[in-house]
Amino acid sequence: MNHRRSAWPKVPTVMMLPMIGALTGCIQVRAPDKPIEINLNVKIQQEVIVRLEQDAKQLIDNNPELFPE
Amino acid sequence: MTRNLTRNMARIIAPVLFASLGAFAAGPAMAQDSVISAAKAAGTVGEQADGYLGTKGTVSADVRGAVDALNIKRRAAYTDLAAKRSGVTVADMAAATGCQTLKSRVSQGQIYRLNGGEWQVKGAGAISLPDYCATAGG
Repeated sequence: MNHRRSAWPKVPTVMMLPMIGALTGCIQVRAPDKPIEINLNVKIQQEVIVRLEQDAKQLIDNNPELFPE
Repeated sequence: MTRNLTRNMARIIAPVLFASLGAFAAGPAMAQDSVISAAKAAGTVGEQADGYLGTKGTVSADVRGAVDALNIKRRAAYTDLAAKRSGVTVADMAAATGCQTLKSRVSQGQIYRLNGGEWQVKGAGAISLPDYCATAGG
């Protein structure tokens, strides 16, 4: 009896948290009030820049007189 | 004798005339580029991130004129290209070209300028390009 009582307080608090959690029941999922927005602007912007730089590269290659070294 | 002389003269003069004509036609563009190349080497003209050439300090009228003329031609080219892409401004096109010129048209020892920055001299490594450049860091 003595031995048991002294062991109980040594159970880590971390291990007790799931037990407490289990008592509160199921996980609740609630739909957000606003529609979910996925922002694609960043990717599109990047693609525009890549394409423009390809144009720029051709411009430089085809018109070296405009870009003397 | 006199006939021979004139024929010889014609033989000598004709190539010279043609050569000078050719030089005259190619002259302005060539001279402009060489003025700019020399100024770039001297560190008074450099590429800017905005896609145009800039001058550092006071430059001669020749250099100023050559830079202005070239920048006008560049603007015309940027305007043409921007018109082909919807939603692309002339400044966008110019900046995209600036990314490329900073990457490939600045030699070690030449000067360059980032947006709103001071003139810098390119070292041995690549120029660290603005974040918006597709080639940033590469």
